[in-house]
Amino acid sequence: MQHRRGALLVALALALTGVFATTLAAPRPAQALTTEKATARPNEDGGDGVIGGMDTRLTWEGTVEPGEEVTSVTLTLPEGSTFDGSTTRITALEGLKRMDVTGEAVPAGSSITVNFDQAIPEGSLLRLEITNMQFPSEGGECVVSGSYVSAGAEHELADSKPIETIANTPLQSIVNWLDDQPWVEAWNSNQFLGMFLKPQLLVTSFSSLAPGWILCLGIVVAAYPFAIALGLLFAMLKISKWRILRAIAVVYINVLRGTPLFLQIYIMFFGLPMLNINIDNNLLGIIVMAINSSAYLAEIFRAGIQSIPQGQYEAASSLGMNYVQTMFTIILPQTVRRVIPTVTSDFITAFKDTSLLSSVGVMELMMFSKNLTTVTGNITPYVAAGIFYLIVTLPLIKVVGIVEENIARSERGSGPRPKRRADVADSAAAQMKEATDAC
Amino acid sequence: MTNMNRRNFVATLGLAGTALLAGCNGSEQPADDAQTTDETPEEASYTLVKEGVLTNVAELGFAPFEYIDEDGVTVGFDVDLSNAIAEKLGLTCEWLPNQAFDTLVPTIAQGGKADISIAGMTIDDTRLEEVDFSDPYLNSNQGIVALAGSGETSETLDAEGVQVACQTGTTGNSWIEENLPNATCVPLADVTAGMMGVSTGLYKAMVIDLPVAQNMIAESFSDLEVVEEIPTGEQYGIAVSYDNPGLKDAINDALAQIEEDGTMDEIKQKWFGTTEV
Repeated sequence: MQHRRGALLVALALALTGVFATTLAAPRPAQALTTEKATARPNEDGGDGVIGGMDTRLTWEGTVEPGEEVTSVTLTLPEGSTFDGSTTRITALEGLKRMDVTGEAVPAGSSITVNFDQAIPEGSLLRLEITNMQFPSEGGECVVSGSYVSAGAEHELADSKPIETIANTPLQSIVNWLDDQPWVEAWNSNQFLGMFLKPQLLVTSFSSLAPGWILCLGIVVAAYPFAIALGLLFAMLKISKWRILRAIAVVYINVLRGTPLFLQIYIMFFGLPMLNINIDNNLLGIIVMAINSSAYLAEIFRAGIQSIPQGQYEAASSLGMNYVQTMFTIILPQTVRRVIPTVTSDFITAFKDTSLLSSVGVMELMMFSKNLTTVTGNITPYVAAGIFYLIVTLPLIKVVGIVEENIARSERGSGPRPKRRADVADSAAAQMKEATDAC
Repeated sequence: MTNMNRRNFVATLGLAGTALLAGCNGSEQPADDAQTTDETPEEASYTLVKEGVLTNVAELGFAPFEYIDEDGVTVGFDVDLSNAIAEKLGLTCEWLPNQAFDTLVPTIAQGGKADISIAGMTIDDTRLEEVDFSDPYLNSNQGIVALAGSGETSETLDAEGVQVACQTGTTGNSWIEENLPNATCVPLADVTAGMMGVSTGLYKAMVIDLPVAQNMIAESFSDLEVVEEIPTGEQYGIAVSYDNPGLKDAINDALAQIEEDGTMDEIKQKWFGTTEV
């Protein structure tokens, strides 16, 4: 124990001398221009990374200290970056008030010098936004260093916090490859095709929309069992003998079916937190979808149950069954088959309706496409989202068709059941034949 | 001068009847061509979606710049400014119905629906790729809005799992993406939805143009405050299509006149209570 404490003291002493040594060795010059921050605009299509070797925008901010003036700033990036072909926007602010400052930017390889037409006065915030510059293509942490001229003398600029950049991604390579293709250019030159079906954006949209699509599916798949249970409950209430139960069901179903889902989402998402009920956004999304669908399902189930002929109830009671037994063993099993197509249709609707959740910040498919559209000013991400919806809805629509066909066939009397008798007859005939052959 | 006369002539015809107007439009094109040859290029005619009308498109939930008041009238700083511009150009001003902010630039770029978008829109490099801008007419900044007393700053907000709202396609939107890389940016269609979300705790904060934030807080969200002012010094401009350079020049001329004759100060005084904006 004693020994360890001793070691600790030694380490502390060493660290302290180290600190003193560095401060003594390199006395920090009084900075006339303090680097506040340096950031870069994400340039990854459909992502938030800063990719090297591709045009982006560097934003550098610094404050001019009291008693100083700055006439020129040079920013330097690691080797491999380039400012060639860039344009620079100069903003100088005193507090929140913008000053008229003009200047000229001279790019030179990996550094850029901005000479101001008038000195930037003390206390002002200087921002340089350099558009169409590139970070080194291998990526990595890029520190903005440089120098500035104050009162005729040049000083070193303090290093900025490093900007995280990444090397090119495979997806981005595909996009860049597409950028160079003549047919892509020809395709995009058509205003409609370029706006709605830009190949580069389709590629990036598919990869970046996928998580939103999974969330959409997750929400509706998680919501649906609850919706079915709730729907069945309210269907039962609605055909109940007791008036009060019927009234409850009617109010529930009609209010939910009679108001837009959008409104219900708003009420749940903004109303519940006001009552100090804080639920996770995704979970709340599931709840809203389940409640909304349950009203529609209740009506579907009610219609299904009431479509079973009255004779079946009479037959069941003549067998000595009570109401619950009749419901669960006779009526509901038949109902299930009848309502499958309508329930599937409702599932499709519910799946599409999850898009409304984007308005309250659930990170689902439309939210991702909206983000992409914002960044690119192009409608293609929405089209990509449409394709994602179709991946789910088209097979389901097909399923509905098949099930409907089967039901129609069995109700016409040409379903699988009557066949069995024919099978029996056939096999009997075959046996007869065998017998006669044997003779 | 001939320009004005011609326009008045067209207006009179327009009043006279649609049949006459249609006939006039038919003969419009050659007249325009003739004009471009015998007048200076700055005076060159521009095309308008609707003859005699400066058609405007904006997101009308951006008080005090453009919003719909209790009487259902579109009002605001930008509205007064565009009326003043239209007046200088001898036109009347019309506003299209409310449209989401992120659709404004594509609308102007594609043309055919609106001539200009004056919507508290910052002149910014990405937008300049799509549309042209007039000279800047107002300076602005961004602000971070959070619950009063929450003590949020741009440092505390830059964390995993923190949702920060903004209006889709605004400079606040790109500010979050660039400056709060760890937070989740939630772009919303309108400012009110974002403010409401911050107020109820759905989002931690919202980043929006400072004048709008201050107005919203003063008008309806007393539980919120601007926790951090972001000095961006951005400048609002009027978006015009690149296919319509004549209109941009005409608007710049009108803006210069409005600055000069004090109309701009009047409008600023009316909406901000000060001319120091």
